Amino acid sequence: MEEDAETRKISSSFLRDHSYATEAADIISTVEFNHTGELLATGDKGGRVVIFQREQEVKSKNQPHRRGEYNVYSTFQSHEPEFDYLKSLEIEEKINKIRWLPQQNAAYFLLSTNDKTVKLWKVSERDKRPEGYNLKDEDGRLRDPSMITVLRVPVLRPMDLMVEATPRRVFANAHTYHINSISVNSDYETYMSADDLRINLWNFEITNQSFNIVDIKPANMEELTEVITAAEFHPHHCNTFVYSSSKGTIRLCDMRTAALCDRHAKFFEEPEDPSNRSFFSEIISSISDVKFSHSGRYIMTRDYLTVKVWDLNMENRPIETYQVHDYLRSKLCSLYENDCIFDKFECVWNGSDSVIMTGSYNNFFRMFDRNTKRDVTLEASRENSKPRAILKPRKVCVGGKRRKDEISVDSLDFSKKILHTAWHPSENIIAVAATNNLYIFQDKVN
Amino acid sequence: MLGRGLKRKLSDYEESMAGLSSAFDSSRGLPYPLKRQLVLNMCLTKLQTYKMLVEPNLHRSVLIANTVRQIQEEMRQESNQQPLPSGVGQQESHCCDLRSVEDPIENSLLIVSDDDMSSAISSILKDLDFVEDISPPTCLVPTGDDQPKFPENTGLKLEDDRQDLKGAECVFGSFEISNSTSYLKDLAIDDIFEDIDTSMYDSDFCCPPLMPPRSPSLATEEPLKTFPSCNSSSANNIQICRTDLSELDHIMEILVGS
Repeated sequence: MEEDAETRKISSSFLRDHSYATEAADIISTVEFNHTGELLATGDKGGRVVIFQREQEVKSKNQPHRRGEYNVYSTFQSHEPEFDYLKSLEIEEKINKIRWLPQQNAAYFLLSTNDKTVKLWKVSERDKRPEGYNLKDEDGRLRDPSMITVLRVPVLRPMDLMVEATPRRVFANAHTYHINSISVNSDYETYMSADDLRINLWNFEITNQSFNIVDIKPANMEELTEVITAAEFHPHHCNTFVYSSSKGTIRLCDMRTAALCDRHAKFFEEPEDPSNRSFFSEIISSISDVKFSHSGRYIMTRDYLTVKVWDLNMENRPIETYQVHDYLRSKLCSLYENDCIFDKFECVWNGSDSVIMTGSYNNFFRMFDRNTKRDVTLEASRENSKPRAILKPRKVCVGGKRRKDEISVDSLDFSKKILHTAWHPSENIIAVAATNNLYIFQDKVN
Repeated sequence: MLGRGLKRKLSDYEESMAGLSSAFDSSRGLPYPLKRQLVLNMCLTKLQTYKMLVEPNLHRSVLIANTVRQIQEEMRQESNQQPLPSGVGQQESHCCDLRSVEDPIENSLLIVSDDDMSSAISSILKDLDFVEDISPPTCLVPTGDDQPKFPENTGLKLEDDRQDLKGAECVFGSFEISNSTSYLKDLAIDDIFEDIDTSMYDSDFCCPPLMPPRSPSLATEEPLKTFPSCNSSSANNIQICRTDLSELDHIMEILVGS
């Protein structure tokens, strides 16, 4: 990706801000491109999934800069609120994660999950319908057979495109604790779902059974000191997966060694820096997201203040550490008090694994170029970017004199957090979820 | 009764907490024990709030509980270095209190609070263990390989924690026996109430008396809440509900040593 010294040339093309009002149910809780980047799925707090599809690119002389824009393709209610009568608990319908399956036929398949139940959805198009039945009217009313004198063959006629989403599988009742991750295996036959203490392996065809592959629940709950925070399969090796913990550690497991992968094959942990020690050290070391690189050689982890890149072959420390918002280190007590310290930010790789991106507060998000070591802070907000405008880099002023365009740490809006972002698998297109708005940014042509 | 007359309103408390946490962040002048006490109070407040929720967030509870344990361990190591609980150490923890109270009873409550905290954490984590989780725990105590390598300077040791927790339960176990034996004779209700799970009602009942958490007042309330976890018989829950006032006086007498 070409980068100027001072600014990053990214144009913003606005998604038609869908007619969502500012309600809590519309807070976007997950964003995911499919494997080709043609589709973009978002899940929200109200249990809905909205899929956007990229327009076919029209290369015409009139509009040389027109790149395919994303329009709404399908909307459906994935999960409903449920009530667990046994425990008198309400199960939230919020979609925690969406993961696409690779496309194998004309239909699209995705997994969506809330706290307790994973569902496999099939999204398919219908643009033809049969007409000319013998025994039925066009309205569907049955005809009297004795009145039929002529037989005809029904023909398929085009109709308006209809996109329908149907639930094909429901994987329920396998998790006592809240599901935080799902990951499709590279064999495309299995996937895993992880909650706070356990990870289960499923076969897509079988909904009433799953294998428990990780269980860190202690016999005595009073001894619990660590929970699972994220998990992912290796992109190429179907026997390998990683999971991260609230203590800032990552474990890589090989399913070939044992049925229950409680013994890790590799254990990644960075020794603590004694100069940065505080009461909140453990809390900020909790890993909120873990992602394999597309190559499968690296993993990236996000904790509260940093993003780290680890080489799978080196367990004792990460190979790269990037400060996302180190200016918050001196505000940890206030952030603990208002619970912001528990916010779970995600992180993403670009298609070539050269740039990583993650979110921050005040609707800021950060990108780090691993090769040039340059980084940029951008803002996803309506006021500051018009369609087709180039995003201006932002800067947070830590102390001393504040320059004109800078924003001071105390002016940051901590209610505007960017937790979920996604990067197109091959192109420089990013999707950024800012509370209940979705922003899609594309790299500028020329 | 001791804690009741000197309550602060919750809103005042929250305001003072907000002021304190920004003071913590901005000022380097705050003495370390005061900072530590502040963090500890915040942690205990949060745990208390979570306990009132129908479904507390396990991830957060574990993180906060670990922080409390860490602070507790630090305080314990410091108090081990100062053999007599008098003079400087106590003065410092005194000035950490949100109210300035010179009562000697308060001092002794602060000393007991370590074990209370352990029991508080234990009871909270135990409550998080859903009864309906049928699948048997296939992994028991983590093996040496799986045990994360603790950095040396945290001072946390799992074995010590377990000892602490067991010690705490033993402490309260003996309390429970000594305090309730006289009542057991009066009430022959064990059989009737054995299979009724009143844990939900326990927390509901205990909530009203729990006012703005400052650790001494928490210390007095925690023994009540840990009784259900120490003794599985639900009959005692009902006993405690009826007799907590006199229990508390009884506990006070024991603590003061009269």
